[in-house]
Amino acid sequence: MIGIVIVSHSSKIADGVVELCSQMAHKNLKIIPAGGTKDGAIGTDSIKISEAIIKADEGDGVLILVDLGSAILNTEMALDFLHDTIKKRAIIADAPIVEGSIAATVQASISNSIEEVKLAAEEVNGFKKIN
Amino acid sequence: MHIKTFTITNKLGFHARPAAELVKTVASFKSEINLIFNGKKSDTRSLIAILSSGIVGGSTFDVQANGEDEIEAMLAVSELINRLGGEH
Repeated sequence: MIGIVIVSHSSKIADGVVELCSQMAHKNLKIIPAGGTKDGAIGTDSIKISEAIIKADEGDGVLILVDLGSAILNTEMALDFLHDTIKKRAIIADAPIVEGSIAATVQASISNSIEEVKLAAEEVNGFKKIN
Repeated sequence: MHIKTFTITNKLGFHARPAAELVKTVASFKSEINLIFNGKKSDTRSLIAILSSGIVGGSTFDVQANGEDEIEAMLAVSELINRLGGEH
């Protein structure tokens, strides 16, 4: 199965997104939060993120959803810490964190293709909320 | 090709959770299954396509199934939509 990692500056946002996605996900799907810094402050932590990626990885790939700015930089740094085999199958999605995570978890519940799960998350970019 | 018309009777139509259930339901079939509403076709394999379909509570829309297991697929989709009808 594909694993999902949620990276946010706020641990509450990361935990909340995991809680929300779990409602729609396959029960065996791993959705791992990596929110806040090591001491619980607002920010992101590359060690915390790399640990979450390792936890989420089951061999098929890991899709990482990020919020803003340093979340992206620290996720890229986290990927550099990882062994090449995991690094190769862990990808950052270019998608909004809440909607993208929901679309990704639903897709990951039915598909083991990291490209398909990434595509589902990024499809959200064209999603209009009000018609 | 198999087409059937439905009216969704719950309050919110295909909101997030039912849409996710629909994606998961159709995933087990080989047929291509689309929702047709207001002339717009939405692929049920995509959560975002379903959420963007504009189908709300009370909407009447078509389900189009095309493929070797279209009858079974339509049956599964019917069951899901009927089950949603009981939701408020």
